[in-house]
Amino acid sequence: MNVEFLLPEARQNDDDVEMIDVSDKFVTPGETISVDAQYMRFGINDITISLCKDFKHYSLSRSHGTFSDEKDGIIKSSLAGRVEIVNKLISVRTVHSRYNAEIGDLIVGRITEVAQKRWKVDINSRQDAVLLLSSINLPGGVMRRKTEEDELQMRKFFSDGDILAAEVSGTFQDGAASIQTRSHKYGKLRNGSFVSVPPSLVQRCKTHFHVLSCGVDVVLGLNGYIWVCKHTPSLQDVDSETIYSHKNEPISDATRESIARVCNCITSLARKFKIINDSSITLAYEESFETQHID
Amino acid sequence: MPVLISPAEREYIINGVDHNIRADGRGRLDYRQIVVETGLISQASGSARCRLGEGTDVLVGVKVEVGQVDMEGDDEVIRERKSKRGRVICNVECSPIASQQFAGRGADDFNNELTQTLDRVLNGPQGGLNLEKLCIIPGAQCWVVNIDALILDYAGNLLDMVFITTRAALHNTKVPKTIITETEDGLEFDFSDDMEDAERIEGWENVPTAVTLSKIGSRHVVDATPLEELTIDARLLVTVNKDGKICGVQKGGSGSIEPSLLNEMIQTGGTIGQHVIQKLDEQLEREEKEASKKTGSVGKLGFFAAI
Repeated sequence: MNVEFLLPEARQNDDDVEMIDVSDKFVTPGETISVDAQYMRFGINDITISLCKDFKHYSLSRSHGTFSDEKDGIIKSSLAGRVEIVNKLISVRTVHSRYNAEIGDLIVGRITEVAQKRWKVDINSRQDAVLLLSSINLPGGVMRRKTEEDELQMRKFFSDGDILAAEVSGTFQDGAASIQTRSHKYGKLRNGSFVSVPPSLVQRCKTHFHVLSCGVDVVLGLNGYIWVCKHTPSLQDVDSETIYSHKNEPISDATRESIARVCNCITSLARKFKIINDSSITLAYEESFETQHID
Repeated sequence: MPVLISPAEREYIINGVDHNIRADGRGRLDYRQIVVETGLISQASGSARCRLGEGTDVLVGVKVEVGQVDMEGDDEVIRERKSKRGRVICNVECSPIASQQFAGRGADDFNNELTQTLDRVLNGPQGGLNLEKLCIIPGAQCWVVNIDALILDYAGNLLDMVFITTRAALHNTKVPKTIITETEDGLEFDFSDDMEDAERIEGWENVPTAVTLSKIGSRHVVDATPLEELTIDARLLVTVNKDGKICGVQKGGSGSIEPSLLNEMIQTGGTIGQHVIQKLDEQLEREEKEASKKTGSVGKLGFFAAI
């Protein structure tokens, strides 16, 4: 039995805990990002990309979170978020925004609806993503043809509430994303728990499937949904029936505790607006043993 | 806010509860951290705000005002008793920004349910507040205590937080002193101008708190998270006062509870509730002491400090 009451200040004090900063610079609207005129601002249309120095009509263009003053060419932020610099391109990504799907992104989503030949998937975006029956791996081999029978038993593959890892394969005209799970890496997620963080904290990496040293797998969805689960060996040679199983494997108490600890690390990283990747999670995980443990 | 849960998650949560390691590492009978703060609304007679973990955020404002005593009712005895009492009016409202499910008219039923629960507990004989003391002139004027709770953010376990915050707000509430004078037209009263004279509501310490016990699998937990709430078979609201006396029990959810488990749940609810009250009172006392010590500028607090 454990109940703890705190003063608001007490919680504030834990903000001072020193952490290795892996994040970029955060700015608020109106804050100067750079006085250097060498940077280009990133425009929504390619045409609006122009050198800051010569940029005269800033009010006419819509750029990604930045604006510059006519006279001095200082680049300021128009949003609250993280500064992203790619070569000479400068842009601001907001912290609290919905996820913008881009082709090739790894995402973690939750089925919200089963419809004609497709599933609707919540991916923390403005609209639900679409997963077509033709873009999943059917049990019984990759080469198997889709039959009418499959259409009737779609709920056997994914039903409402299921969590899955998938890749964005394209976007529709209205901005909705189309996703696919045609790989062994993707598919239904089991044996663990779900954490949600602001999407901008998850950066694009080479891989989004991580195996932490504590024996826990983490799937970092670029949409801010994260799945933390027990480590299972690569799914390469697992028979296709188990891909769509929703039965968990036996999980030991120690693993359960590690999963819970990793989840808590991720939420506290998100609370401090720190970038979430495998190294920051590992650092936080190791650090977490230093703090008081409640039995 | 997830309103859906996958079978794998459900199984994981049920097994976790069984092994006494929940999804966030807590044991079955552990609460998340609660941050309490009182006296943040200057216009109110008393106020408090509680945040539970990363989520549930409840703001309670108490306003005392002079009103007519309640003289309605058919029974002479009841009317007589009512005419010597103050009144307590509760209102709980879920802000639509708290959760997707509260948007539009979605929260209406839920608001009513919460309001009624709070109202039933505080207006009954177990309510704690000394209503007789809130009467100014019997049969005419009394103090009306308006308790307004606003849910600003939702992450499970709403009712417990509403009750805890209400208790903290009532601790913070000051009622102006009244001076009754006898004139030719009968009794008249006046307020004392000196705010130093204002008194705490009598009986705030007897106000019960609530503990929601959620039955997950064959076990029960306190302080369920939203995902856990989706796996609940049945839940039991146990209201307890500071002496550990059970003031009320209410069952919710669609499942059933075995008699033996019911007994056990009420028992644990009683001990936990008493423990919660004890800890809360300690915290409130500490806060008061700190506040009296502190003079001069105050750092960022409340809404501004919460990021």
